[in-house]
Amino acid sequence: MPGDPSLSIIPRDPKFRGLRDYMISFFGLDRPQWEQFVIYLQRLFTLDWGLSYQDHRPVADILLHDLGWTLLLVGTSTILTVLIGIAIGAYSAIRRGKPFDFVSTGIGIFLYGMPIFWLGLVLQSAFRKNSVFQGWIPWWPALPTSGYYDDRLIPWNWDILHVADAFLHLLLPALTLSLGTLAGISLVMRNSLIDVMTEDFVTTARAKGLSPRQVLRRHILPNGMPPMVSLIALDIAFILGGAYQVEVIFRYQGIGFRTIEAIGSLDYPLLQFIIVIGGAAVVIANLLADFLLLWLDPRIKIS
Amino acid sequence: MGTVEVVKVGGVISPFRARAIVVGRRMQDIGLQVFHNKTAMAGLIILIFFTVLAVAAPLIAPYGPLSAVPDVGPLTLPAPGHPFGTNQFGYDIYSQVIWGTQISLLVGVLAAAVASVIGTAVGLVSGFVGGWIDEVIMRFNDVVLSIPWLVLMIVIAARLNYLDLVGIILVIGLTGWSVTARVVRSQVLSLKERMFVERGRMIGSSNTHILLRHIFPNAFPLIFANTILTVAVSILSESVLAFLNLSVKSNVSWGRIIAEAYQHDALTIGMAEWLIVPGLCIVFLVFGFYLFGYALDEILNPRLRRR
Amino acid sequence: MAALLEVRDLTIEFTTKAGIVHAVEGASFDVERGEALGLAGESGCGKTTTALALMRLLPYNGRIVRGSISFAGRSLVPLEEASMRAIRWKEMSIVFQGAMNSLNPVQRVGRQIAEPIILHEDADSDVALKRAGDLLELVGISRNRLNDYPHEFSGGMRQRVMIAMALACDPKLVIADEPVTALDVMIQAQILDLLERLRRELDLAMILISHDLSVLADTCEQVTIMYAGKTMESGKTMDLFTDPKHPYTQGLVGAFPDIRGPRNMPEAIPGDVPSLISPPSGCVFHPRCKFAFDRCSNAEPELSELAPGRRAACFLYPEVTEVPGRSMPIATR
Ligand SMILES: Nc1ncnc2c1ncn2[C@@H]1O[C@H](COP(=O)(O)OP(=O)(O)OP(=O)(O)O)[C@@H](O)[C@H]1O
Ligand SMILES: [Mg+2]
Repeated sequence: MPGDPSLSIIPRDPKFRGLRDYMISFFGLDRPQWEQFVIYLQRLFTLDWGLSYQDHRPVADILLHDLGWTLLLVGTSTILTVLIGIAIGAYSAIRRGKPFDFVSTGIGIFLYGMPIFWLGLVLQSAFRKNSVFQGWIPWWPALPTSGYYDDRLIPWNWDILHVADAFLHLLLPALTLSLGTLAGISLVMRNSLIDVMTEDFVTTARAKGLSPRQVLRRHILPNGMPPMVSLIALDIAFILGGAYQVEVIFRYQGIGFRTIEAIGSLDYPLLQFIIVIGGAAVVIANLLADFLLLWLDPRIKIS
Repeated sequence: MGTVEVVKVGGVISPFRARAIVVGRRMQDIGLQVFHNKTAMAGLIILIFFTVLAVAAPLIAPYGPLSAVPDVGPLTLPAPGHPFGTNQFGYDIYSQVIWGTQISLLVGVLAAAVASVIGTAVGLVSGFVGGWIDEVIMRFNDVVLSIPWLVLMIVIAARLNYLDLVGIILVIGLTGWSVTARVVRSQVLSLKERMFVERGRMIGSSNTHILLRHIFPNAFPLIFANTILTVAVSILSESVLAFLNLSVKSNVSWGRIIAEAYQHDALTIGMAEWLIVPGLCIVFLVFGFYLFGYALDEILNPRLRRR
Repeated sequence: MAALLEVRDLTIEFTTKAGIVHAVEGASFDVERGEALGLAGESGCGKTTTALALMRLLPYNGRIVRGSISFAGRSLVPLEEASMRAIRWKEMSIVFQGAMNSLNPVQRVGRQIAEPIILHEDADSDVALKRAGDLLELVGISRNRLNDYPHEFSGGMRQRVMIAMALACDPKLVIADEPVTALDVMIQAQILDLLERLRRELDLAMILISHDLSVLADTCEQVTIMYAGKTMESGKTMDLFTDPKHPYTQGLVGAFPDIRGPRNMPEAIPGDVPSLISPPSGCVFHPRCKFAFDRCSNAEPELSELAPGRRAACFLYPEVTEVPGRSMPIATR
């Protein structure tokens, strides 16, 4: 294992020698690695997630707090993304080969290739106080670019002031994450719908005298949704990856922000738990997706 | 597809030859279609531009990637001779951006190659062998797919503490193969169906033979398109790692230039180019790969092509 | 009184990257009220395209370049989309080729059958669903299955569901595009019987499309034979089958082995259907015709009347506008 985590807890100073030895044995760092691993596994299953090397609080406590904020960020932007992405994808599928399709697909592929951290930096620079744009355009807004809510409002209270401020702080991170993932969703939606549009039952629907809008809503969308749902579920890992970058850029102290900090200080109990949470999130997302699919597509049976 | 007719002529051309002819013709056909496809050509032009930039970096860049501009201090504003200014060590940012192309392309292409080879092998075997082996492989694949790749990469990169070029390529490649495996597997399944349904199991040829001589060549164009898309993803991954200071430390890369610009508040001090240009480079390079891969996919995927 | 459907000189093209596909050229036929017309020809000769054009449902790259479609006294080609929608399914419905994919897989069949009733007759959904149940029973499926999804039915039953659906709004004309092609022989017979019975009971006009002449033989009064987008021959079913005039029709009829006769291999027509992007000069059939002579590759034969109600496009038959009863020139066999 590279690095000596104990150094991040206690300075390498002879004065602290005794304390350091105590800490090392307390965290079990003196035992062989495989034994540490076995102990870790054992604790994993007994829901004893260990203590953070850094501030000695239980890992689970720290991360559950962070998780709330990450979920707020990821949830908001996923909902935004899915709604807008589906709308754009559906519209460009109908207008296949027309200017709207061309432009939106082009912009989509372009955004798709944009590193989220960079997009975040650019948006941050564009909307911070005294940004370049404010010099040019008088009404250019300035938005909060760091934290969950204003430091002066700490501690958190459930009142309108806090909620409104938290919302303002959420805007830029959520926008960044949405823009970063929007393209993927709308492109897939477009292709999935184009696939459906070539199916015979769509011609049947048109032959029934339904208007294009009715055909879309009643026949194309319901058939285009199932593949979308599985794809979004698969994309959760990708969205989480994006969330990590956004959290770092906007100092939005969720799981991602914590990860980078934990890496800096080699806080392994925290890191390991983070991976477990990441995996769990994906598993849960996929489970939810499966239930949704069961409901959306009668051909799928529980087997 | 031409296959059936050629084979139906019956006995005159052996099915193997027929297959080879058809595959060859298909590749030519694809080449032609790419040539006539505006999207594919636009992508290709972007790719050629960056490739030339990477290869000719020593000729184009006025300074080395990690050498200070003489007589100019650190953090100087853009001026003739150093059009994007100099960074905190007094290095020429313009030159750094040009050199950065090398790392992005190299890591992107090689990591995608690693991912593609693994993914193709897994997908071919899984799809062709079928049965419980397929089940096991696909479950495992699901698990790999469900791991948040970025965290995993960050943790691996952090654990190894120092990643050289090979290390970064392996980390990105080894975490990126599962999508390819899926795509290849489903392609193999449909090819298998088509071949066996069309003319029964080919008598006298072993499974390996069928897999390597018939299924693989037919799946190849799609694998290729998929690899192109994987390159794009790999380039993005590298830039994220570089931004977090976890990538190759001995060379400049775009992600690292952006990180440095961010740390020194480039926009406030009037050095917007420092932040914006390397970012646009990533965007355009990835855009090029996506355009090309996307167009290829559309050319090769009959369901998208129809109507 | 004019026929229910009169199609004149219908010409349809598809624009593709490879060039313009002349899918249908100069198709002309009539369908009388309560009568069935058969449309036959090899795969790719433009049958489905013709059917889609009648309902103005051509894919986006296809268009009617000339000709007229007059249906129940209205001209459909210039009709605006909204009025066309009011005609679709209400007056003219269609059973598509391959019922497997013609039903929406994620919607209950009851709702699918009821959908056009609600749309066109402003019925509320209970009434419409009750009608849907009646229709299912009409085609021999229990109404208990209204709430089932398409994948829960067999192929033959799905085809019945499609037929029930086609009858939902009491249309004047039903187009059946290869209604039995993917089914096994027993089911084929059942479905054809069903169609025939419904047609008589409901006094429907019908266009039955098939590449299988035997499917048309028992059902249709009139048959039109198409080849490479062109009409080759048309006439009364019995006349046309017993005494085919056009060499292509002769080939088609010859291609069907007689079960009772000796087991000969069907006499296939050599060659393939030509490219519709650059069709052969002159008569489109001449490259495959065993009677072809010089003129066939230079000039295009008109579809001319050989006897009342009997027309063929072939130079073997000099344009005799005939007095009824006179014998026809006979193809040199
Ligand atoms: N959307 C389209 N774009 C271009 N060409 C088309 C399109 N649809 C049909 N065609 C072409 O038009 C011709 C007629 O097709 P059509 O489907 O009408 O044939 P068909 O007689 O119904 O054949 P089958 O018996 O196989 O159903 C074919 O050559 C076909 O390739
Ligand atoms: Mg057809």
